[in-house]
Amino acid sequence: MEQIVLAAIALVSVVLTVQAGHTLYLMIYTWDQPEAEAKARVPDERAAPQLSFTAIVPARHEEEVIQQTIARVAHTDYPARLVQIIVVCSADDLGTIERAAATISRLRSAGRTNVELVVFDDQPINKPHGLNAALARSDGDVITIFDAEDEIHPEIFSIVNTVMVTERVHVVQAGVQLMNYESNWYSTFNVLEYFFWFRSRLYYQARAGAIPLGGNTVFFSRELLERIGGWDETCLTEDAEIGLRVCVMGERVRVLYDHRYVTKEETPPTLRHFIKQRTRWSQGFMQTLKKGTWKELPTRKQRLLAWYTLMFPYAQALLGIYLPVAVLTAFVLRVPASIALLSWLPVLLLAAHFVTAVIGLYEFTEAHELRATPRTVVTLAVGWMPYQMVLAYAAMRALKRQLSGVGDWEKTAHVGAHRSAQEEEVTSRAA
Amino acid sequence: MPRENPTALLDQEQGRGSAPVAVHRPVGDPLDRTGKILLAVSMLIGLVSHGWNIFKYPLYLSDEGIYMEQAWSVLREGKLAPYTYFYDHAPFGWMVIAGWVALIPGQFNSLGFPVNIGRVLMVLVHVACVFLMFEIVRRYSRSVPAAFLATFFFNVSPLAVYFQRMVLLDNLMVFWVLLGLYILARKDGRVVTAMGAGLAFGLALVTKENALFLLPGFGYLLHRSIVEQGNRRFSASFWWFAVGSPVALYMLYAEIKNELLPAGLDFNLASPPADHVSLLYTIWWQLHRTASGGQGTMFNTLLHQSWLFKDKYLLLAGTAATVGTLALSLNERRREVPMLGTALLAIGYGFYLTRSVLLDFYVAPLVPLLTLNIGLLYGRITRYAKPAAVALLTACLCAMPLSYPHGYLVAWDFTGTKLLLADQYRLPQTNMQNLQVKWIREHVPPNSRLIIDDDIWVALREGHPNFPYAQSHFKAASDPDIRDKFFHRDWHNVDYVVMSNKMRDALERNNEGWILEAIDQHGEEVWRIDRGDVHLSVIKINNSSE
Repeated sequence: MEQIVLAAIALVSVVLTVQAGHTLYLMIYTWDQPEAEAKARVPDERAAPQLSFTAIVPARHEEEVIQQTIARVAHTDYPARLVQIIVVCSADDLGTIERAAATISRLRSAGRTNVELVVFDDQPINKPHGLNAALARSDGDVITIFDAEDEIHPEIFSIVNTVMVTERVHVVQAGVQLMNYESNWYSTFNVLEYFFWFRSRLYYQARAGAIPLGGNTVFFSRELLERIGGWDETCLTEDAEIGLRVCVMGERVRVLYDHRYVTKEETPPTLRHFIKQRTRWSQGFMQTLKKGTWKELPTRKQRLLAWYTLMFPYAQALLGIYLPVAVLTAFVLRVPASIALLSWLPVLLLAAHFVTAVIGLYEFTEAHELRATPRTVVTLAVGWMPYQMVLAYAAMRALKRQLSGVGDWEKTAHVGAHRSAQEEEVTSRAA
Repeated sequence: MPRENPTALLDQEQGRGSAPVAVHRPVGDPLDRTGKILLAVSMLIGLVSHGWNIFKYPLYLSDEGIYMEQAWSVLREGKLAPYTYFYDHAPFGWMVIAGWVALIPGQFNSLGFPVNIGRVLMVLVHVACVFLMFEIVRRYSRSVPAAFLATFFFNVSPLAVYFQRMVLLDNLMVFWVLLGLYILARKDGRVVTAMGAGLAFGLALVTKENALFLLPGFGYLLHRSIVEQGNRRFSASFWWFAVGSPVALYMLYAEIKNELLPAGLDFNLASPPADHVSLLYTIWWQLHRTASGGQGTMFNTLLHQSWLFKDKYLLLAGTAATVGTLALSLNERRREVPMLGTALLAIGYGFYLTRSVLLDFYVAPLVPLLTLNIGLLYGRITRYAKPAAVALLTACLCAMPLSYPHGYLVAWDFTGTKLLLADQYRLPQTNMQNLQVKWIREHVPPNSRLIIDDDIWVALREGHPNFPYAQSHFKAASDPDIRDKFFHRDWHNVDYVVMSNKMRDALERNNEGWILEAIDQHGEEVWRIDRGDVHLSVIKINNSSE
């Protein structure tokens, strides 16, 4: 029995070490590969406006932020006649409908006719259903999504137009970045997760041809979207799922991350909301894994990467169970020095992750002309394990929901913490 | 909705090509045909100069035996040492040796005397080091002749040949250091490159701790290679992380065994910890070693009595080259970054040698550091000379030491009238140790309690018959498990003392009194061999008649 326990500890340690090492590499991929970093950058020169866009803004209970978002999308540096805006709400969301309608009315009075509100009253009430409803009403060459709380860059359409026209790609994932890195103890971690995900990992996934796309600031050619049948309304992470379907079709996904042009977002305002959001993502990955689209990817390497990405929430849930056991065994179980040493390897990798996070913090703040304080570094150090436990809890929660067949959409609240007061004023005036 | 060109996106060809992005990614110029030939020649010279007569010269050293017996313990016992491991050295070096032996059919006995299999590894390591040094010098100096010259001296210096043939942790440490420098010299701008260089240096540290003195030079070369890169934060941090990881695991090992700190945090050198060994105590003890305590020799003594005697030309030329690279690099800092780095490497190690209590072979890592400086300085001096002139000059510089009878290739015999191949290519010194082991196997009962030197330890444990009660004299004098529990510090419990060359000096230097008593008052010499200044013997202790 003791031999079995020792073998299990050794095996889990090795697996965790390899996994942590690989994840670490994906986090620093674009820093490690100078070519990758150069390619992820936004081109310096812009092509003439050529493509028309439909920007879908799905909103649910977003009364607080919807008006500013519509105004931002409406006032980009791209010709207004080439940007159709569709705000999509469910019929029961009267507050958001009212605010959105008011803004649309003001825009129309100012001569902007290609802005409309789409209201759906059928089930299910979730984001992919809203997106499909809006897709049916869209007429742009390119369809994109902006979440209601997004703060988009005015040049984003011009940039994507340039990339799609000059590089002949049909899918572009542009950078999304959480900004409020000092709002609370977990926001720093959350911000850095986004930073590493969009700045580095997505590029690797795109290059490998197995990319779970993001939920907004992603651009599809409309023809492609219609060909693949829009979004999967049964999936909680319709963005990741559609990404894999795009890859199955052999489409190359262009990832752009240039800190100057990222779409800015906020972390969920409370830990409860954060856990709900993370639960949804984890369960969405579980659903996508179960659905099996990844099995249709053409190469074994693509399938392996997709499987590895999608099954991560399971590993995270297991980690939640393993960590207390590991701590317990450290005090109770006397193991040979070699096994004990092996079991410390994941801890060493954890330290490497921490070092990476601290560097990432400085890279992020420097890029956005913010300042990383020692206090934030201390927060990172102190909050590291609790944050891992929160993620593990959310993954376990997702696992429970998945096993018991619960698949409803848990909404994340937004309060506009990433928007400065000055920006609020500007966008309000514009609206 | 208006569209300027409805088919602009979808009518374009389904190209999968990426947008062209020009990124400069230097990884060192590839070697041309001549360069490849010279590299191959250098490696061949290294193979021959170090491999020829390697099983016969030099005499098997006690320290070679210690590392072989610890590798034996890793393979046969799953332990880091057959005796109490007291953290005198980090274990990675003999774990590598154990890994090498495990790969060879027949293992310790595959090539006769067990140390031989370790020496073969040293030759292979040297050839690998030649490759690494050639490429380091070439990439840093952009001169193939400079690379050839550096490796030539690295290959044929008697000082190099003498010590680099031995199974020493220092030689393995040099390999990791050169590997780290080689990776750094790639200059491809990648984080994993910096990390690889750091890991190599970290492995050097857990092979032989004195690599620590190379940190300033190494750190400087790293810093200058990444300072202008966008990923410098990651490169620098991961370099440090990779350096620290093997060291951290080593310390963690000690902590897991509850052997990191001495009991009661007692670092009193006058009373070593009695209940358990301690890594930090051993480090503390090593930092306070003195020549008068019998734990080594001072720099000046070794320099004049051993190193200069073996190869004064390399030491003088290398020192001058180091001064030269330092002077040039300080004058033209921006242009001579590698020269300042290699100068700092040699100076760092030189500082260690001059400030510490030493053993003879501690000079081994200095040789490649000096030849690195020779190569870089030569490359700098000949930078603007005509290639043909440089080739001719290089050939002359290589031919000169070989043609003069100063021990590089040939030497006068003791009468001074006849030229012979130099000792390292001709003398059969280890035959005596083979004869000693042979005599023991033929005349000593296998269950005898022997006090021996470490050079023949594995030979007596692995051979037929084997001698499970043969114990190292160091341990018989200082390890409580052997001294007190096995021998009970009593000559009655000793059957034979097998004397290696100069073992008597070591016994006296280390105050191994009860063993000396056994030899002098109760011993009888039953076998002896003398050749030149090498004297081996076997002493039977008359313990049954008392």
